[in-house]
Amino acid sequence: MLESVLIFSVLALALGLILGYAAIKFKVVGNPVVDQIDSILPQTQCGQCDFAGCRPYAEAIAKGEAQINQCPPGGQEGVDALAELLGVETLPLNEEFGENKTDHVVYVDEQVCIGCTLCIQACPVDAFVGSSKVMTTVIADECTGCDLCIPVCPVDCIHIEELPTTLSNYVPNLQEVGRG
Amino acid sequence: MASYTFKGGIHIPNPYPVKEPEVRQVAPPEQAVLLLQQRVGGEASPCVKIGDRVLTGQVIAKTTSKYPTHVHASVSGVISAIEKRPIPHPSGIEAMCIVIDSDGKDEWIEIEKCDKDFSRCTPEKVIQRIREAGIVGMGGAGFPTHAKISNAQGTHTLIVNATECEPGIMCDDALMQHYPREVIRGAEVLMHACGAKKAIIAIEDDKQEACNSLLMYNFNDQIDVVQIPTKYTSGAEKLLIKTLLDIEIPAGEFASDHGVLCQNIGTVKAIYDAVIDNKPLISRIVTVTGSAVQEPRNYEARLGTSFAAVVAQSNPNNNPHHIRMGGMMMGIDVPNVEHSICKITNCIFVNNVIPAPEVQSCIRCGQCNTVCPVGLLPQQLFWYAKSENTDRAMDYNLGACIECRCCDVVCPSHIPLAQYFFFAKALHHKRTVDQQRTDMARERFEFKEFRIERNKKERAEMMAKKKEELKKKMAQDKTQKDKIAQAAARVKNKESSER
Repeated sequence: MLESVLIFSVLALALGLILGYAAIKFKVVGNPVVDQIDSILPQTQCGQCDFAGCRPYAEAIAKGEAQINQCPPGGQEGVDALAELLGVETLPLNEEFGENKTDHVVYVDEQVCIGCTLCIQACPVDAFVGSSKVMTTVIADECTGCDLCIPVCPVDCIHIEELPTTLSNYVPNLQEVGRG
Repeated sequence: MASYTFKGGIHIPNPYPVKEPEVRQVAPPEQAVLLLQQRVGGEASPCVKIGDRVLTGQVIAKTTSKYPTHVHASVSGVISAIEKRPIPHPSGIEAMCIVIDSDGKDEWIEIEKCDKDFSRCTPEKVIQRIREAGIVGMGGAGFPTHAKISNAQGTHTLIVNATECEPGIMCDDALMQHYPREVIRGAEVLMHACGAKKAIIAIEDDKQEACNSLLMYNFNDQIDVVQIPTKYTSGAEKLLIKTLLDIEIPAGEFASDHGVLCQNIGTVKAIYDAVIDNKPLISRIVTVTGSAVQEPRNYEARLGTSFAAVVAQSNPNNNPHHIRMGGMMMGIDVPNVEHSICKITNCIFVNNVIPAPEVQSCIRCGQCNTVCPVGLLPQQLFWYAKSENTDRAMDYNLGACIECRCCDVVCPSHIPLAQYFFFAKALHHKRTVDQQRTDMARERFEFKEFRIERNKKERAEMMAKKKEELKKKMAQDKTQKDKIAQAAARVKNKESSER
């Protein structure tokens, strides 16, 4: 009788210590769901969802403060993916936050640019190169197409450029493929 | 030792054999349209302007990067346009082309005399000449030859691919019968360039005349002319290596990793022209065949000649046609004959339009699995491709698919499997690129946040430090304090005296 009580007390103590140690050592920093949500979001950083960027929006979704259908660049596919991740019913994309535009980048009309640097400050991903009173330009490879720079430009010299289909980004239409 | 065969593959008899042995020369075109982009690598940039007069063989577009090659004028004349034109690709997209209006003189640029004894040139020099001649793989893949040879230093065996396994194409057959000496010499040049000690010229056993003519000119005991059984996809690089050398190259590795260099026979002839005669690649042999032409035949045409000009010489019937560039298996459907011959145009199929058989559902018969020459499971891949599950498809080695369409041919439900695989590969590529962009955007956004935060903190620290210093200075500066005290006293005195 005493023996078994002793054995189980020692066992409980030892396992308790291990669990306690593991809880401190392997503590998950932050909310892992936020990372998972963030990895689905398109990282346009456009702020159309009414949050300051994709990560803040992901945090809001994780806390239940925002709906999953507020991201126009992610499109309906993005909403569906979020619904699947979170195990909730999918919603139609909320058009109030904006429409899903095709892939595009912006370019600066360099003849018109006055070098005010407002676009540089507005760009969430530092895709502008320029300085005060000199011509500014966009690194097209780094532009996410968030269009945040367009309204701030005082001389309206930033324009949208659709990304052309090339040999390296062409994807055939699945419906046409299926018809043979 | 070599097994001379491989698992899978199918035998398809040539439906429209070319009966005439000779190659007809096509007159230089009145207008040549030359593509600036090859199948691999970016575009070459034009080094001529509209209105410039160019001579045949002159470089009209240059490049400095690794993959693209120079583009040469294929006729003499005046540049009339540098613009986007549709290119032969399933997407029908447009790419930059240079258009030359011929003056009919076909005046060549002066060709520098070069050392005909290539063995006195270093391999680097030979590769340089191949690069300057604008040579790409002429079997259909269009991979830049200079890049392929430079990657294959330390090769032990050179394989010259003369299998021409796709039914219908006969251009390499004609090439071997007409230029056997050039082909053998070209193989010697290549062996010198890549350092191979042995070369194998592989021919399918249905091309007896071609094989005989090569044997007549082959006096080099390092070069073997080998016949292999006729079976479709025997010409695929990795399968050919397996067939001849019994070396199996795993998915994701290249022939050059195993000391083998494979070159198409048309490329070898072009290398001969470039290194021995110092002539750039401006013409090629094209087979015109199909159910709608009365006389399937081989033509030697300048690059940039329109399909229409070549097809017209084979007496096509007047019905609507279905045009295909390349072989009946791996070729590309093009909407009309307005395209022009480029470096990879080995064949033009002109077929009568027949309705495609209706696509039915997969019955899981598994025939596609049996014929797949690279040992994939097309049936399984089909489900993943259809549901756009590219990750799973890649787990099943979709990347190793050579899109040979053997599975399409045997499928009793007429499912266009290879097209599904092309779609899934393209989608996977697009998703990978998009993911990279997304990751970069996330990183840059987070760094910007971090930078703003850091700058704020640094500024606050700096301000605090300054304040602190100022305070200290004030405390130390006694005279200042005294002055203030004196001033305060004066004010007090004044106030009291006024009262």
